[in-house]
Parts: sequence; structure tokens; C-alpha cells
Amino acid sequence: MLNPQVRAIRLIEILLLTSALVLFIVGSILQDTFFLRLATESLIFGGLAMSVDLLLGIVGLLSLGQALYFGFGAYLSALVLKEISPSFFLAIGIVTLSATVLGWIASFVALRSKGVYFALITFGLAQVAAKVVYNTRSLGASDGMMGVPILQIWTPFGAIDTSQPGSFFLITLLTIGGLYAVLKYFLTTPMGSIWHAIRSNEDRLAYVGYKSKGPKQVAFILAAVVAAVSGALYPMLRGFVSPELMFFSVSGNAVVTVVLGGVGTLIGPILGSVLLTAFKSIIGTWTVHHHIVIGIIFVVIVVSAPKGISGLLAKYLSKKHSHKGEE
Amino acid sequence: MLESLQYIYAPQIVNGLSIGVAVVLMALGLTIIFGLLDVINMSHGEFYAAGAFFSVSLMAMGVSFWLCLLLVPLLLVPIGFAMERLLIQKVFHYKDRHILTLLLTFGVAMVLEDGYKIIWGANPIKPSAPISGASELLGVMFPNYRLFLMVFGALIIFAVWVLIYKTQLGAIVRASAYDKDMSSSLGIPVMRVYALTFAFGVALAGLAGVLLAPIYSVFPTMGRDFILMAFSVVIVGGLGSIKGAVVAGILLTQLQSISSLYISPVWSDPLVFTVMVLVLMFKPTGLYGGMKNA
Repeated sequence: MLNPQVRAIRLIEILLLTSALVLFIVGSILQDTFFLRLATESLIFGGLAMSVDLLLGIVGLLSLGQALYFGFGAYLSALVLKEISPSFFLAIGIVTLSATVLGWIASFVALRSKGVYFALITFGLAQVAAKVVYNTRSLGASDGMMGVPILQIWTPFGAIDTSQPGSFFLITLLTIGGLYAVLKYFLTTPMGSIWHAIRSNEDRLAYVGYKSKGPKQVAFILAAVVAAVSGALYPMLRGFVSPELMFFSVSGNAVVTVVLGGVGTLIGPILGSVLLTAFKSIIGTWTVHHHIVIGIIFVVIVVSAPKGISGLLAKYLSKKHSHKGEE
Repeated sequence: MLESLQYIYAPQIVNGLSIGVAVVLMALGLTIIFGLLDVINMSHGEFYAAGAFFSVSLMAMGVSFWLCLLLVPLLLVPIGFAMERLLIQKVFHYKDRHILTLLLTFGVAMVLEDGYKIIWGANPIKPSAPISGASELLGVMFPNYRLFLMVFGALIIFAVWVLIYKTQLGAIVRASAYDKDMSSSLGIPVMRVYALTFAFGVALAGLAGVLLAPIYSVFPTMGRDFILMAFSVVIVGGLGSIKGAVVAGILLTQLQSISSLYISPVWSDPLVFTVMVLVLMFKPTGLYGGMKNA
């Protein structure tokens, strides 16, 4: 029998994929726009949360400035689509390459420190970047950039239009799913084991003959790329970008999402993002004060269930299993 | 040359100082809390806002500003005490408590900020200055309230320094920061010291809120911009260092106000953050070590 944590992850994967496909089919038949676009957005922010989880849950580094890479991806993608060519693959390609370089450069700054200092330095970096973008005329300053064109995405099954909510939902699902698969693959490599070891005890890693610097740098760059590619999808959905995408509230929300869904599971953040988006849109019809409710839930989870929903699910599964064993 | 010094630099320096004093008050609370408890208090800015909102409400009830200076920090003490006891101590025994307490205080900040919106509304409130008029200093006019702010703030900062370094109470706090287990076996109620210190730091933030409410408007997210500055100060000065908070607080606010003569004020914030990032890169412990080394 697999351990409960792995079973919980598997269960969440199946649950999310099934509901995504059901939503796609039902939504397409009913010609729905609202729910499909909402689900697309939750996947995009789920991708950002996943990158936070890679650093926090796997390597043990709390980033309070992941919105920097998300916003970078969004702005760059909008620029490419508007100024160079309205091509999905070109935008994603350029964003991936540039985010690798940006993450590589930023890693030299951020990885000089660890613990709370890492959290504060990532926070500071994102603040500098957000203020610079906010005050730069050529990037639209506080207004952001509008008028990102609708794309034709060429696939083996024909061209897909990003203005069709169902098709773009599927494209987003494939992109975020692809990122998830890449991260999952990395976890099976020796580097993945070193990441876990860094989180458990970085000092002891040196005693068994491993350097932590390289693997940490790879994780940091990967997280930057995942956040940036998720961000690159944003202007395709919304048609605009604004400096708010780089603000602390976006980074902070991603951290809340990760803790809610389950730290260290990678799929938990996606579930967290789906639940939070749904929750905000449901409660948003009654009151604008959803932060107070989310904040209270968040505090309760940090205090009483630090492993989030996935942790609770794993606990439930292991209890059920041990109960069966007694019979 | 002398004239430019008098009419251009002097007003900037004095204005910078009056903000600097308030920033130092905020930073003192943050740094004391970190120095003793190892907790990064992400909700510090919201307690600053709490101070401002409490003073607005109390003054609406007819309480004078001067009484607010005393009452508001006293009101915040039990709130801070309860938060430390009921929430922070719950996650204190975990291995990754640095991160957990940071997340916890972040959650509290979310709740508080939205709470202010519900109670006081999202629109800015502007209390009138308790001291009106202006005085001439070195041939330049300065608002009286700003001058008062500088003197009063400096007195409070001095009082905090005396409290921590020259009294028995301060010795107990420093001993608990230096070696928790040893202090505890000498009979110091360390857990209560933790909670009281947290409450004290929070009360300082509230006091800064009361003092700055007449200068800036009072609104639910007012803590956000200010907390960034306070964090930068604490980091540049050295997390946990009181001397560092004072020195860095004055340095950074002067950098901000003098640089705004040459560059657009919107760029002076990124400048301060850049200094913070550079310090974190090359000397993460800041200018002065921490409370343990002081």
C-alpha cells in the first residue's frame, strides 16, 4: 500500500482532472463563458502557487516575491503578442528563455541568504521591480498595457482561438499540467532528493558530500520559469496586464493558496487555487469582505493543520486504512 | 551655497527627521519582537493602522489627542498579549517556526485590514492636527506639529533605550533573548516575557499610528506602505538591534527625503529598497548585529 501522502496526491490529481474535463464538456455544450474563464484564471494563479510550493514545500525557502516572475511573464508575453507577433508558442518560448535568465541572475542575489532573510530579500526584490514598472511610462505605468490581441493557436487538431473560453481553458490546462509534470519529473531525479534533503537539514548535506548551492539555484530558476509561464497566459485570457500583478498581494495570495492546499505536494496549490477562486466568487456575491474569512481560515490552518487540505486528506486516508486493518 | 543649504536642504532634512522618528518607532517594535521572539511580525503595519483608527474613534468621542497618546498604546497591549499567547505560541515549538509565525502574522494582517474596512470604511479619514501654526527655525517656517513629533518621538526612543538597557525589566528581556533555557531556570517566566514584549512592540506601532494620523490620512491599507519602510530600516540596521533601528531609520529617511530633491519622489522608494537588498546581499546581519550582541 502506498503511503497516505502519495495516495492523497493521487486522489487530488484524479479529482482535479476529472472535474476539469467535466467542466470543459458541460461548459462547451452549454456555451458557458463565466465558469470556464473563472476556472482558467484559477489554473493560472495555481501555476504561480505551484512555483511558491516548489521553493517552500520542497526546498524549504519561503518566497514572498514570486509575483515578480509572474508579472514579468505577463508583461513580456503582452509585449511579444502586441509588438512582435501574436503567436502563442513564440510568447511562451521567449518567456521561458527570459525567465531562465532572470531567475539565474536573481538567484545570485536571493540565494545569498536563507530563512527569514530569504523571505525578506525576495519581498524586497519584488517591491523594487513593482515600483519600477509602476513608474515606467513606456510600460503603461500605473495603467498597465491594454489591447493584447486574440490569438490563433496552431495545434494538430486545427487552429484554436483564445477568445473561445473552452478552448483556451484546455490550452491552460495543458500548459499548467505540463509544468506540473516537469516538476514531478524533477522530483524523481537525484536532484529532487537533494532538494528534500536541503529542506530537512542543509548543513548536514555537506557531511554526506553534496553541495546545496547548485540544486538550490536550479530550483529557484525552475520556480521563476513556472511562475513566468503561468503569468504569460494571463494577458491571453484578460487582454491586458497591470502593475498590480507584481504587487505583494499577489505574492501573498500565492502563499495563502499553497498553505491552504498543502505545502510540499505541488498539486495542493492547484486545488487551493481552485477552491479559493470558487470561494471568492461565491462569497463575492454577498459581500466584498472575503479577505476576513480567508484570513481566518488561513490562520486556523497554520495553527491547527499546517499541512493544509492535502494533509487532512492524507490523515483521513491513513485512519481509514488502519481502521480496515483492525477488522 | 549657504542659502541653498538653508532653504532647500534644511526643510527636507527636518521633514525627513519628523518622518524618520515615526519610522524608528515602528522599526523599534519590529526589531524588539524579532530580537526576542525570532518572529517577523507581518501584521505590524496593521497595528500601526489600529493605533491611528483608535485615536480617530476616541477623538470622535471627545477624548483629547494628548490622552490618546497614552490610551491607545495601553489599549493595544492586551490585544498584542492575547495574539502572542493564543496564536504565536501555538506554532512556537515547530522546527520551521520562523516561516510559520511569519505566515500566521500575515494571516492576522489580512483579517485586521478587512476588519478596518468593515468598521471604519475604506475612505481616508483626516484628523486635524492637535497643534496648529508654524514656527521659524533657521529662517525657515516649519509646522509646529512636525517639530513636536520630532521632540516627542526622540523622547520615546530614548525611553525605550533606557528601558531595555538600563532597567531590571530590560535585563530580563535581554537575558531571555540571550538564553531562553538558562533564564527560565533562573526563575524568569520566559513565556510571559515573550507575550509582554510582543505586546510592547505592538503598542509602539500603535503610538506611531496616533502620531502620524494628523500628517497622513487614516485608511485601512495605510500600514502597507509604511511597513515596507520599517522593514527596510530593521534589515539595514540589523534584525534585533535597537541601535541599528535608530541609525538606519534616520539614514534611510534622510536618503529618501534628500534624494527626492534630485530624482522624482516616486523613485526614492525603489532607491530605499535597493539599499535594503544590497545590505541583505552583502551583510545580511545589517549594520549592527542583534539584541544578543548589543
